[in-house]
Amino acid sequence: MDFEPRYTQEQEDFRAEVQEWLDINVPHGIEHPADSADLTLEQYQLRRNLGYKLGDIGWLWPTAPVEYGGGGLSVDYSVVLEEEIDKYGLSLPPYYDSGGRLGGNSIMVWGTEEQKMNFLPPILKGEVRTWQLLSEPEAGSDLANVKTTAIKDGDDYIINGQKVYVGSSHGCDYMWTITCTDSEAPRHQNLGWFMIPYDTPGITVLPMDLLSSAGESGAGSGVKNVVYFDNVRVPGFNLIGGENEGWKVATTHLELEHGTGGRIARNWLVDRVFDYCKENNRRGRPLSQDQDVKDRLIDIYIDAEVGRLFQLRNYWMRHSKVNTTYEGPQASYQRKTSGLRMAHAILDIMGPAALTKDPELGAGEGYFEAHQRAAIIALHPGGTTDIQKVIMARRIGIGREVREQAGALA
Amino acid sequence: MDLSLTPAQEMLKGAVRQFVDQEYPKETLLEISAGMNPSMHDSWQKLADTGWLGIVIPEEFGGEGGSLTDAGVLFEELGRGPVPGPHLSSGVLSALIVLEIGSSQQKSEWLPRLANGTDLLIPAITESDYGWYEDDVTANLTSSGEGWMLNGKKAYVFNGSSATHFLCTVKSPESNHVGLVRVAAESPGVNIRSLEGFAWDMAEVTFSDVDVTQSDVLGGDLNSGWGALERAIIKTIPVLSSYQTGGCQAVYEISVGYSRTRIQFGTPIGRFQRVQDHIINLVNQLDAARWTSNEAIWKLDSGREPFDSVHLAKAVSSEAYLQACDHAHEVHAGVASMTEYGLTLHTTASRTLYTYLGDPRFHRHRLAEALGL
Repeated sequence: MDFEPRYTQEQEDFRAEVQEWLDINVPHGIEHPADSADLTLEQYQLRRNLGYKLGDIGWLWPTAPVEYGGGGLSVDYSVVLEEEIDKYGLSLPPYYDSGGRLGGNSIMVWGTEEQKMNFLPPILKGEVRTWQLLSEPEAGSDLANVKTTAIKDGDDYIINGQKVYVGSSHGCDYMWTITCTDSEAPRHQNLGWFMIPYDTPGITVLPMDLLSSAGESGAGSGVKNVVYFDNVRVPGFNLIGGENEGWKVATTHLELEHGTGGRIARNWLVDRVFDYCKENNRRGRPLSQDQDVKDRLIDIYIDAEVGRLFQLRNYWMRHSKVNTTYEGPQASYQRKTSGLRMAHAILDIMGPAALTKDPELGAGEGYFEAHQRAAIIALHPGGTTDIQKVIMARRIGIGREVREQAGALA
Repeated sequence: MDLSLTPAQEMLKGAVRQFVDQEYPKETLLEISAGMNPSMHDSWQKLADTGWLGIVIPEEFGGEGGSLTDAGVLFEELGRGPVPGPHLSSGVLSALIVLEIGSSQQKSEWLPRLANGTDLLIPAITESDYGWYEDDVTANLTSSGEGWMLNGKKAYVFNGSSATHFLCTVKSPESNHVGLVRVAAESPGVNIRSLEGFAWDMAEVTFSDVDVTQSDVLGGDLNSGWGALERAIIKTIPVLSSYQTGGCQAVYEISVGYSRTRIQFGTPIGRFQRVQDHIINLVNQLDAARWTSNEAIWKLDSGREPFDSVHLAKAVSSEAYLQACDHAHEVHAGVASMTEYGLTLHTTASRTLYTYLGDPRFHRHRLAEALGL
């Protein structure tokens, strides 16, 4: 067993190359607002510009196939890239691109060759940013109940409906969207996924006023939106996986969204809390020397470590092509529930300083206040904690003769 | 990065699983738990014959020369049983202590006998306050002719009734430090009292004017035993955690199986989300135990600074095994309370091992120290 990526001389050479490249190309002035809702257009554009450059040399999506614009690199090289860009507080891609990550992978599995050649290179080269559009007012945990319709009209489809909790600040280029392609057909046999250009007439995007947008804070998602489709005409070519075949596509999408991809980056929160407790005094001594505080810090640490190890395991399983069953939703469940426990512990430790972003009295320059909000809201994106458990139960096969299979991944 | 086992480790895993299935079926485990000394059972001799008791002992001393990862593989499978007996306490912890501090003569004389199971050398460390710190040791030596005389009382000695010998922590007559001495269980003045109840094989061992020869003082040095003991414990803990992981794995499989076959309200109970919640909590505990243990073992085997991961692993896997059993009892309800069903073997083991080599609270304190708090 080996928990650490091993670096060959070739990889170390690659790391030197990456470091030099990032040193030149990561723009100066990249900032990480405590709350991603505060990500300015200027900050977003800095990240997109970096994305173009990364995409140009195949480092934006390093493990995606070269023929579609990816880097074609093995996991051993993508690890180096991710480690190096993490030093700048950024991830790959360095901006919110949920549709690129989830839709891109789904297209890789279910798209025709022509669709792959059309949609994937712009995503993988960073020329477009894509949102995912799943939830609706009547379809949250029960995704298959979506009411947004896509009705065939000649070679096109006409889309009508409403999506919620969508995207980020500052718009996108494509909307990776699940719709109902046949209102009369049986459940799970009535769905279809579309890549919808953002500027298609009939689309209205309005920001939502939420406690927090949570999720993917490293990539800076910003505010979430409501999206209205009013007789939006989309070419049939943009239907991925076929009419009424959307559920199989959804299994791939959801598999990734439920955490099967894994990750190896560390959790900044633990370092921040520990540092705060070492640097701030109460009754004349550092918080970290108070036994109650120590106990809570260890609660946080243990939760974070277990989460890190689940993510690490999933990362390895995915990249080593080891079959997964319940591990994706397990990591997601751990992340969500432990995030909330950690927020509780932080509130215990810091008191009201964790609840304000006041520049003088707020803890950690507002990061902890943002985390208090985000930890609650993070319970639902990508499937609620209860949904994660439902999927785990099916995959484990509790009470069943046959276990549900995991969705196909590229 | 590669989180898989090597082909040789996979073979070992398969061989141990087959051995446990054959030699430690539920009937045997129940027979032992009904009051038998585990090292007196026929199956124990077969376990000794496999050579696995010497898994971490170097080949030059008659062992298998395995890595801690190999030991983790072995003990995870033993934990599935759960196979009782002094395999870990004698074969791993005591062997590692002797390797740490024993003189070359002690190593070459004692270790082969631990590896083949002739001697069962049981660490006797804690006393009535169950402390795992050096200054908790009060057992003492006084000079007696050419050697020493030992007096003291060791409490909650895990596997105490199996001992042919004890490896006893004693206060040095020369300093505030602690030394380690070997004492034959049959020596005059040694009294072993088994502690009955909801625990596995715990004993109180009283030493009254027991003669100890200088050749039984580990490394001939009565002042540096504690450091050696701690180094050996650090290496043993993730192997113990692997055993606890194996226990969790068995409890998980038993519970999933039961959820499929137990019919209530006209349906397998696993169809109920309330029941599913218990099993999901259980598998989350299982995997937390598994991966914290694995990472700690990897750090030790690869020469990395291990302390944070080791204390994490013991805190997490002790909690995990205990809670896994709790969840399993919720899934099973009354059935699990029947001794013959076998789940209580794990429940008892989970409680015993929760405290062995330090409970989660102790290891959380050590973890805080390791993290610089």
